Amino acid sequence: MSSDVAVDIQHLTKRFGPRTVFEDISLQVKRSEVVAIIGPSGAGKSTFIRCINYLHPFDEGRIRVLGRELVGGAAPPSKAVLREIRTHVGMAFQTFNLFPHLTALGNVMLGPMEAKRMPRAEAQDKAMALLTAVGLAERANAYPRRLSGGEQQRVAICRALAMDPEVMLFDEPTSMLDPEMVGEVLEAIRRLAGQGMTLILVTHEMMFAKEVANTVVVMADGRLVEQGPAREVLEHPQTDRARTFLNRVLKPLAAEGSPLAPVSLGGDHP
Amino acid sequence: MHYVALYWAVMARGGALDLEMTAIAVAISVVVGVLAAIGKLYGGKLLAAIITGYVEVIRGLPPILQLFIIYFGLSQFQINLSPFAAGLLWLILYGIGYAVEIFRAGIAAVAEGQGEAADALGMTRAQGLRRVILPQAWVIMLPSLMTFLVLQVKNTTLLYLVGVADIMYQARLGTSATEQPAIMYGMAAVAYLVINLTLSRLGGVLERRVEASR
Repeated sequence: MSSDVAVDIQHLTKRFGPRTVFEDISLQVKRSEVVAIIGPSGAGKSTFIRCINYLHPFDEGRIRVLGRELVGGAAPPSKAVLREIRTHVGMAFQTFNLFPHLTALGNVMLGPMEAKRMPRAEAQDKAMALLTAVGLAERANAYPRRLSGGEQQRVAICRALAMDPEVMLFDEPTSMLDPEMVGEVLEAIRRLAGQGMTLILVTHEMMFAKEVANTVVVMADGRLVEQGPAREVLEHPQTDRARTFLNRVLKPLAAEGSPLAPVSLGGDHP
Repeated sequence: MHYVALYWAVMARGGALDLEMTAIAVAISVVVGVLAAIGKLYGGKLLAAIITGYVEVIRGLPPILQLFIIYFGLSQFQINLSPFAAGLLWLILYGIGYAVEIFRAGIAAVAEGQGEAADALGMTRAQGLRRVILPQAWVIMLPSLMTFLVLQVKNTTLLYLVGVADIMYQARLGTSATEQPAIMYGMAAVAYLVINLTLSRLGGVLERRVEASR
């Protein structure tokens, strides 16, 4: 495997008891590549992305993350390997999961201070710089419940970035946000992509995926149904399943049989 | 009313003893309870089964029977505990049985999303518990812990049965000496009310403080 592959996922299968969440998914993510995973709810996208930093164990297959290997069905990896992976792979959650008892600044400082034993002053400078970069310098001393959803998610992204990750995972980072706050979070992600960060994100923002992602992966019914360059997959899906999904998402009114004309999408749709 | 004047000092001494024993027992059972709750949640199946079994025995046996086994039962094996030691040991063992479940529920309530966030940052389980989960769990558990504290104060009323000179003991002694049960038990009731209402009020103040600081 060439060293420009950051995450190499081979034949991943995950079951919850008798139910198969997803099956036989393979995906290679190169360094600085941006991969968007899209698909209907319940397709197993969130569970899949959580396997990459082993928040969920999996049953078959293997994942190589930054040179360290996770194997399905085997005993869990050693705590040292897990921490090693998790300190290099950051994650932002759909529900933000900020620590409510700490300020925005405290949230961003905690990871480096605990997991990397970084001195407080250094962690504070770093956290402040990260918060400033996403326009939250003034909110540094606010507790999460005083922050809007968009602010909370930006703090959560800073919290992950404070660990200097090589790969960032985003699990539907904007789906809990009010529409007017989606933009500020997407902007922060867009900037990360511009800086060459390796990104894997589960998202329902098709336009954003088309603009920022290099690769789009469509998951449906627990399978990877299509994968390719973002624009190609989103504009000219090759499989029926991907086409059905994209039609429903991109033309919701028409799909319901509404007499309204389909929403104009731009691009070269017929 | 001279009975009140005569007995209030011994009642107060009994109350002080009750409070002292409760404080020691609750402090120890809270520390052990946190550790046992963590053991039950993260320590593997065997440890979880042992802790669950312990909790079931403590909750399943009548309190007086537990106390008598410790004080009288053990003496048959030449383990002769003083009334104070036996009473304290029982309060601790009984308290652990309750504290485990309070902490387990509190930790579990916080752990799901917050534990994942701590894990995802590469923090160890101990770091996650200490820095993320327990500071939040305390807040959630505060009302249950106050109820637990008051319960343990009430449980000290049983200790007179093995000869601990607590409020109850003094009230019974006073009743036999004066034949004034209404006054003696009335004084005991006032003493317990003062203790428990004070504790509840303090708990309420603490809860509001914590709420306000969040």
